[in-house]
Amino acid sequence: MTRRFNIRAVAAAGALTLVALIAAFPFLWMIATSFKTLPETVSSPPTFLPAHPTWAAYRRLFDELAYARYLANTLILVAIGYVGLVLMAMAGYGFAKYRFRGRGTLFMLVLATMMVPAQVTMIPTYLILNFAHLTNTITGMALPGLVVAFNIFLLTQFMSTIPDEVLEAARIDGAGELRIFLQIVLPLSRPILAVQAILTFIAGWNSFLWPLIVANDESKYTLSVGLSLLNRQTTVDPPLQMAGASLMVIPIVIVFLLFQRHIVRGFTLSGLK
Amino acid sequence: MGDEGKLFPALVKQFTASTGIKVKVESIPWDNVNDKLTTAVASGNGPDVLQVGLSNLATFKAAGALKDLTSELPKYPHLASDNFVSSLTNEKLNPDGHVVNVPWVADTRVLFYRSDLLTKAGIAAPPSTWTDLHADAVKLAAAGGKGKYGYYIPQWDQALPNIFTWQAGGEIQDSSGKVTFASAAAKTATDFYESFYADKLVPTNADFDQTQGFVSGAAPMLVSGPYLEKAINDAAPQLKGKWSVAPLPAGQSNISVVAGSSLGVWKNSKNLEADLQLLDYLDTPSTQVAWFKAANELPSTKSAFDDPALTADPMVAVYAKQLGNANLLPLAPKWGAISAAQLKALNNVALQHANEAKELATLNSTVANLQK
Amino acid sequence: MVGGARTLTERFNVVTTSIRAKATTVSQLARPLRRSPRRRRPTTRAPYWFVAPSVAMLLVFGILPVLVAAIVSLTNMDIGDLASPTHAHFIGLQNYRQLFGDSAFWQALRNTVLFVAVGVPVIMVISLAIALGLSRSESRLYRALRALYFLPAITAIVAISLIWGYLYNSQFGVLNYLLSTVGVSPVEWLGNSNLGRASVAAVGIWRATGLDIIIFLAAIMGVPQEYSEAAAIDGAGRWRTTFSVTIPLIRYALFFVAVTTVINWLQFFDEAFVLNQGRPNPATTSLSLYIYQEGFKFNQFGFASAGSVALFALIAAVTALQLRLRKSDD
Repeated sequence: MTRRFNIRAVAAAGALTLVALIAAFPFLWMIATSFKTLPETVSSPPTFLPAHPTWAAYRRLFDELAYARYLANTLILVAIGYVGLVLMAMAGYGFAKYRFRGRGTLFMLVLATMMVPAQVTMIPTYLILNFAHLTNTITGMALPGLVVAFNIFLLTQFMSTIPDEVLEAARIDGAGELRIFLQIVLPLSRPILAVQAILTFIAGWNSFLWPLIVANDESKYTLSVGLSLLNRQTTVDPPLQMAGASLMVIPIVIVFLLFQRHIVRGFTLSGLK
Repeated sequence: MGDEGKLFPALVKQFTASTGIKVKVESIPWDNVNDKLTTAVASGNGPDVLQVGLSNLATFKAAGALKDLTSELPKYPHLASDNFVSSLTNEKLNPDGHVVNVPWVADTRVLFYRSDLLTKAGIAAPPSTWTDLHADAVKLAAAGGKGKYGYYIPQWDQALPNIFTWQAGGEIQDSSGKVTFASAAAKTATDFYESFYADKLVPTNADFDQTQGFVSGAAPMLVSGPYLEKAINDAAPQLKGKWSVAPLPAGQSNISVVAGSSLGVWKNSKNLEADLQLLDYLDTPSTQVAWFKAANELPSTKSAFDDPALTADPMVAVYAKQLGNANLLPLAPKWGAISAAQLKALNNVALQHANEAKELATLNSTVANLQK
Repeated sequence: MVGGARTLTERFNVVTTSIRAKATTVSQLARPLRRSPRRRRPTTRAPYWFVAPSVAMLLVFGILPVLVAAIVSLTNMDIGDLASPTHAHFIGLQNYRQLFGDSAFWQALRNTVLFVAVGVPVIMVISLAIALGLSRSESRLYRALRALYFLPAITAIVAISLIWGYLYNSQFGVLNYLLSTVGVSPVEWLGNSNLGRASVAAVGIWRATGLDIIIFLAAIMGVPQEYSEAAAIDGAGRWRTTFSVTIPLIRYALFFVAVTTVINWLQFFDEAFVLNQGRPNPATTSLSLYIYQEGFKFNQFGFASAGSVALFALIAAVTALQLRLRKSDD
C-alpha cells in the first residue's frame, strides 16, 4: 500500500523505544529489586538483575498484609471516585460551553483550590468530616479528594474544542441540556474521559493520607496504608517495599491499557454526523 | 508503630482473656504520627491508650492530649516508678510532677564496631575513652584506604552532640529546664565532635547510609541503637562474629542517651479504669519479656532484664549496662527546632568550614530566642 | 496517497465546510474564559446545575481551609491551642514579618523559582516531542510505548525515593559506581549545590512527563486528520504540518499543561522531601518544603499558615499573569 516502511519510520520508532526504556528504567529496577534478597540490595557494588531471584518478598507481603480487607476498602474508594468523575465532567462541560454570570469568578475559585498545599487543608477538612460524623467511614475518606480542580480544568480545556454548531443544532432539534451532555458531549470527549478514568482509578487506588487520618480502625485501611505499615521506622527493607510497590502498580497498568484504547484519532469529525 | 503492629494484638490476647477487656489496636506508620495527632487533638477524638515515641512526647504533652494519672498510680503496682530502669522513671518522663505517661520500651545508644577490621588495624579492644576513640579512628581510616573512614557521625542525629556534652561532664538544660549549649562542657564536646571532621575521619556526604557503611567497612565504628543489630543481621548475615557492640567510650563518663516509647491515656478517654489495667499489664515484667521475644524491643522494667531470654544475649547485656547510665533528651516542646539549629551550626562548621566561635554564638542566641 | 485514505473519501463532503468552521471555533475556544459579546446568553439555568455540585465540594474542602489558614496566619496558634483555638493570640502580621525576615525563606523562594523556570519548559518540550512521536502510529508497539512512558506517573513515591536515592547515593549509589568504573571520583548528587538542585529537578521532570505525554497525545489525536491531509495536499512537509497545523490546534492543551505545571512546581514538595529525607538541604528546599519544615513539622500552625498564604498569593499572581498573557496572545 504505502512505502512508508522507510528508514525514517524505523529510526523514529527506535529512538522512541530507547528513550522509553530509559524513562522506564527506574521502574524496571523496582521490579528487579523486588526479586532480590535483602543482603543483595545493600551490597556494593550494586547489581541490576537479581543474582538469586526469589519470591520471598512477595510471599511475605501476602503473609503479613491483610490484603483482602484492604483491597475491598480500596475498591470501594475507587468506585466512589468515579462518582466524582461524573460530577467533574459535568462541571467541565458547564464551564467550557456555557456563558453564565459568575462563570469567570467561579472558575477562578476552582483554580484557586489548586494553589494550596495539602497540609493547610488537613485540619479544617478533618474538622468538617468530624462534624458531619463521617470519620471512620469510607465516604469520609473519599470526600476530600472527590472533586479536584486539576481534573475540572483539564475537562474544561478539552471540552472547549467541541464545536458549538453541534450543540446548537441539537438544541434546535429540541434536545434538552442533559440529553446533549449525555448523548453528544460525553461521546465526543472519549479520549479525555479515558484519561480521566485512568487518573480517577490511580487516585483512589493509591489513596493514602485521608484513609489513614479518617480511619480509627485498621480494618478500614486501604492497600497503601497497609503497605506502609510494613515499612520499618529505622531500617529499610528494599525488596519488601519494592514488591509492595510493584503489586500496587500492576492494576494501574491494566487499567491504563484498557482505557488508552480510546485515545485514538479523529473522533471529532465522526461525531459531527 | 513500625512493623510491631502485627505483633501487638497477639500480646494483648492474654490480657483480654484474663480481664475480659477487648483491645482494638490501630497501627500508624511512624512518619504519619503527627498528622494523626493533630487531627485527633483538633477534633477531640482519640484512642483510649496511646504509644508515644519519646521524641514526640513533648508534642503530645504540649497538645494536652494525655490524661493526668498521678492520683491513680498507687493502685497499680506495676506502674510504680522504682519498677523501671533508673534512666526512665516516671519522674524523669514527667519532670513537672503530673504523670501523664509511663515507660513502655527502652532504647539506647552504644558503640558498634567491626572486630575483624579493628584486629586488622592492630587494635586489640574497642575504645573505652575519648582519646582511644579518636586514635582508633585514625588507625582504621589509614588501614581502610581511599573511600573508607574510621568513624561515622550522622549529620542530622539529635543525640550525638549532646551525648558528648554529657560525657564531658556538662548538662544541656539549666535548673529551670531551659535548653542551653553555652557551657564549657558543650564547647569541649563541640571541639571533640568537630575534630573528627577536621582530621577527615568521618564521611562528609549527607546521604551516607549507616548500615551499608558498617557492612562494607567504610564506617567500622559508629554509635547506634539495637535496631541496627537487626538491620546488620538482615543485610549481612555473613558478618556474624565479625562485629559486636560495646559501651560508649567515656569522656569524664560514658553517659549515653535513653530513648524508646511510653504509654499514655487519652485525655478524653471514657474508660480510665480499663486503660490503666492495660497499662499495668503491659508494664508487668513477664509481658515485657514476651514483647522482647516477639518484637526485639528492650523492656523498661528492671526485673525483666533478669530473665534468661535477655541475659542469654551478650549484646543485650551491653544495652542493659548502658541503660544504667543514660539521659533523656530534653522534653521541651521547642526541642525539635532547637536541635535543628544545633545540628545546622555543627554542620556549617564541619562541612562549610564556618567559624566555630561565630556559629556557636549565633546558635546560643537562636536557642535563647526560641525559648523566650 | 496519505495513510487513512478511506476517511478522506468518506468525509470529503464535510471536510471543506467543517475545516473553515473548525478553524474559527477551536482557536476561539482555546482562549481562556472571556465573555464573548457575540454569543447570545442562553436563558437556561443548566450551567448552574452542571457546575454546582463540584463547586460546592471545592468551596467546602478547598476554599474554606484557605480562609481558615488566612485567619490562623494572624495568630500564634500551635499544637497547644489546637484543642481550644480561642487560647491562641492574635499577633497581627508578626508571622509574616518573621517569614520575610528569614533568609531561609528567600533561599527557598530562589530555589522554587529556579525549579519552575527550568523545570516547566523542559517538561513541556520533552512531553510534546514524545507525544508527537507517539502520535505517528497506533500500532501495538506504539501502544506498549505509551504504557512505558506513563510509568513514571504511576510509580509510588516511596518506590521513587528508594530507587532514585539508590541511584544518587554518593557512597553506595549506582551512578557513582558507574563513574568509578571509568575512573571518575564520586559525585555528591544530592548535595548542597546546583547539582543537587538539578538532580532533584530531574526526578520531578521524569515524573511529570508521564502524565503530560498522555495529555498531549490525547490532544494531538483529537486533531482531525483532515487538517494535516489538507496541508499535505497544499504541499507542506511533515515538520511544517506539525508546526503550522498540529501545534496551533492543540494550544488549549499546551496552555493547560503550562498553567498546571507552573502551579504544581511552585508547590514543589514530594521529590525534594523524599530525596533529602530528614537531611535539610538549603539548595533543594522549596517553599513548600520550607513551610513544612519550619511550620507544620513543629506544629507552628500560625507560622505555617502565613507561609501557605504567602505561597498561595505567589501562585495566584503568577497564574493570573499567565491568563492575561494568554488573552493578549490571541
